[in-house]
Amino acid sequence: MSHADSLLRAAVLFGCMATLACAAPPKPSPELLAPTEAQMKLRSFQSRTFELDDRERAMRGVIAALQDLGFIIERANEPLGLVTAARFAEPNYTDIIAVTVTVRPQDGGRMLIRVNAIFNNKPIEDPEAYQNFFATLERSLFLNKG
Amino acid sequence: MRTTTRSSEPRRHPRGARSPARGARLALLALLIGCAAPRHEPKELLQLSPESPQQRATQTRLFDTSDGIELLSASAAALQDLGFQVQESVPDLGVLRAAKERSAREYGQDISRTLIALLSTAGLVLGSNTLVIIPVDLQQQINASLVARPVDEDGSRHEVRVLFYRVVWKGSGQSGDQQIPPGQQKMEMIRDPEIYQQFFARLSKAVFLEAHKI
Repeated sequence: MSHADSLLRAAVLFGCMATLACAAPPKPSPELLAPTEAQMKLRSFQSRTFELDDRERAMRGVIAALQDLGFIIERANEPLGLVTAARFAEPNYTDIIAVTVTVRPQDGGRMLIRVNAIFNNKPIEDPEAYQNFFATLERSLFLNKG
Repeated sequence: MRTTTRSSEPRRHPRGARSPARGARLALLALLIGCAAPRHEPKELLQLSPESPQQRATQTRLFDTSDGIELLSASAAALQDLGFQVQESVPDLGVLRAAKERSAREYGQDISRTLIALLSTAGLVLGSNTLVIIPVDLQQQINASLVARPVDEDGSRHEVRVLFYRVVWKGSGQSGDQQIPPGQQKMEMIRDPEIYQQFFARLSKAVFLEAHKI
């Protein structure tokens, strides 16, 4: 091996190391956890208040609505007002749609119900999807009154 | 050699004229698209479907009891009788989730796997280089998600709604040099009304009550 050859090799090695050192992962931006306008809009699509003061009944209504929509109830937590459910995008069994519903009592005998839906790994941001869900939920809460 | 023939094809069939090969390919494509299941938009999946009343009727029974907890405990017992393990229970909301794992081996699948492997081995002798071993279903998990809830204001009647579905895991396979890794999943809802009838028959025996259809 000639002297020039080994010098070149050392230079290449140094170059590689310099590149690697520079390629550190980018730092998270300070706005990472700050709410954006789009998120606020999405939150309003996802939430609705109902004239109800009984949380248990509201949660049973949510569960019944999800079952009517063909969802599998995976988890429910009464004290926290949480329901998690999922379904296959039938007839296509490779796609999964998952929802988390939170039920929280508000002041003045009202109940805030918020639903987050994801399709595979992507959040659903279509307001119509949430409108459809709340239409079913209203029906189920109404029927639940007996 | 083959590549040259293929690349000379368009010259034999000038633009505008339909090549038979292309026609066949188009037909195959159309057939494949025709066979592929239609994909739903996520928003449609959060909407009641025309089948939902029918599904609700299959999955639901009414019981003349005011004791929701007893009904839930009897449901757990009925699921246990059927070999399920309870995974999640929330008595306040009347929710149960249970699962059982069973073998998913079917003779039919093993026979076709062997036949295809044999045929492709014969092809190996004749000079083709693809040995095909199709993966077969190995293991399945059958899941049940059950909810018992009062239907009247005074809670004198309760309804039980149960949903069964299964997840199937496939074993490994091979196609030529390509190894197909095991563990590929297939999921499906169980829609056979008979399975639901069997479950409710067992449940109504466990609570000594008649199960009414809705």
